[in-house]
Amino acid sequence: MNSKTQRKAAFLVALTVTASLGLWAQATTPPPQTFLTTIYFDYSFNATNNGNLTGTDAANALNNKFAFRRAYFTYENKINDNLKFRFRLDADNTANITSIDFAKSSTKKDDKLRPFMKHLYLDWAGLLPNSSLKIGMVETQAFKVAEDRWGYRSVAKTILDGYKDITGVDTRTSSADIGANLTGSVNKYLRYGAMVMNGEGYSHPELNKYKKFGGYLQLIPVAGLNVWGYAETERLSDSATAQMYKVDVYFDMIPNLNISGEWLTYDSDNNFNKVAQPDGSTVNNHYNVRGFSIFGTYKIIIDKLNVFARFDSYTPDSTNDSKNIGLVIVGFDWAPIHSSWKIQPNVWFYNYKDSAKKSDVVANLTFFLSF
Amino acid sequence: MKKMKIGKLMAIIELGLALVFTPVLLAQKKMIQIKGSDTMINLVQILAEEYMAKNPQSPIAVLGGGSGTGISALINNTCDIADSSRDLKEKEFNQAWEKGVRPRLFAIAVDGLSIIVNSKNPLTKLTMGQVGAIYRGEVKNWKAVGGPDLAISLYGRQSNSGTYVFLQEHVLNNKNYSPDMKEMNGNAQIIEGVRADEGSIGYVGVGYVIDRATGKPGPGLKILLISKDEKSQEFSPLDKQAVDTGKYPIARALYQATNGKPRPDVAAFIRWEIGPEGQKIVEREGFYPIGAADQEKNDKNLK
Repeated sequence: MNSKTQRKAAFLVALTVTASLGLWAQATTPPPQTFLTTIYFDYSFNATNNGNLTGTDAANALNNKFAFRRAYFTYENKINDNLKFRFRLDADNTANITSIDFAKSSTKKDDKLRPFMKHLYLDWAGLLPNSSLKIGMVETQAFKVAEDRWGYRSVAKTILDGYKDITGVDTRTSSADIGANLTGSVNKYLRYGAMVMNGEGYSHPELNKYKKFGGYLQLIPVAGLNVWGYAETERLSDSATAQMYKVDVYFDMIPNLNISGEWLTYDSDNNFNKVAQPDGSTVNNHYNVRGFSIFGTYKIIIDKLNVFARFDSYTPDSTNDSKNIGLVIVGFDWAPIHSSWKIQPNVWFYNYKDSAKKSDVVANLTFFLSF
Repeated sequence: MKKMKIGKLMAIIELGLALVFTPVLLAQKKMIQIKGSDTMINLVQILAEEYMAKNPQSPIAVLGGGSGTGISALINNTCDIADSSRDLKEKEFNQAWEKGVRPRLFAIAVDGLSIIVNSKNPLTKLTMGQVGAIYRGEVKNWKAVGGPDLAISLYGRQSNSGTYVFLQEHVLNNKNYSPDMKEMNGNAQIIEGVRADEGSIGYVGVGYVIDRATGKPGPGLKILLISKDEKSQEFSPLDKQAVDTGKYPIARALYQATNGKPRPDVAAFIRWEIGPEGQKIVEREGFYPIGAADQEKNDKNLK
């Protein structure tokens, strides 16, 4: 986190603490507080050794590993029935630069898990009837609904976030951002959400004067059938904008079975390939990012044993089908003793449209701890 | 070659999973899972024990956690019956609709929600408005409501409690509780707090406040008479007729909720609870049996 983000965070903490002290001034008993730690780690085994991803591992004599992927520490404080405060630290091994040598213009890094601030917000219920307004570093609507619905962040990110690292195509979306997030329900048939945020996510400070705006409508025409439509727009510069649209359908009409579908498209003026022309000049060939994901869970034994499966089709460049990626994930979610400790064996099958890229198969034994 | 390798891996995984999970699946019995209200937990546990003694083929597990916890469990499909000492909120009905859950409510008992003070407090009655003002923190001394010159200390429940929500909706006019209120884990803790604190006030289900041996409030406790307003007559939650007729202003039904029409074993248990045997136990445990109107609604919901 750089100094600008830190200053913003410090300001929000100071604002929150000041507001909270005022509200607590008369209290003789502390308001209810909760602490939650969630950790997931894997034992992974590459079942293929010549695939697009596993081939690189094989070249490095790596075909199995233990890895911590994420650790969260969440503190929540209910100030009263309408006001809640949340602070979450997240730790992964991406924030791993340990020192910078300016003389040599080089950096040193390791792979330790380092904490960074993920959430810091006030949640105010009741500004509008049946509504919640979150202000600060908050969860984004683009992620939250699908991630909650998928429910297996410990196994895999959702399609919107899961391909950035392997395709190198960034959709400029983040699971958290600084801004304000309003959600609510009008009646049992209709929910809504609106959000304004910096657009830089939780890893960067605001870099320009422009803000990202997003919003959704969720229709539930019959019990257990949800149709959710989301749109967001962001001006990237004086001459470029980006938009994202998502449509999700959730089906909960059979006991213990839920099935979901998610479709998205991301369109940015900055996404183009330079194509050489016969006369030696180049033209910009604009492309979109697209994808859809279908996933489901069946509760075999409630609170004990679930089975889950997912299929993704991801198109990082709409002008070049050969870059398309298909992914199938299947697995179990087993809580042998208590729901705070789960074992989630899962297998990933990657397929590539480009016949030169060979498929990857990776088996994971994921451990989920929450206490 | 690659296909063979993947096929073998999948076969090994499937065999491993089958070996691990088959015994678990076989061992799983169809147990009726009940979660929710702490006010109802003792009553429902006794009902379940007596029912299981007569129907050993129907195992029942009863857990507390508060009405809110029970309703969440019903919405998330992790229990068969949610115990709730309040009606469902609009927000909960909406969440249930979203998840394809259609709650059906069955009143199994009636509770005269009791406002209790320490037995050394000379005060005998309060209006609903006074109780609301006290719990909102607007009245901080007993003298303001006709009692001694003594600071009021508030005892209540946590926000996942149905009693907390019922009192907030019906007595506090949907305003927030005073931040000075001590949020206790259950009825028993409120009773202990009130017994030990001369300036205290608390609220508990009537079934918790009566000493079974004497039929009177337990030692160190006094139940206040409550009136709708200053012009109305005050009544005790121990007055069965006043509770039945609605003259006692903070009487409430105690509910069990299911997702849609209950499955046969769950329906049989509810039918027994609201039948003569179950209702006799309800009375024995200090609560009141349900009236004809609730019986009629229950019968309709069982079909």
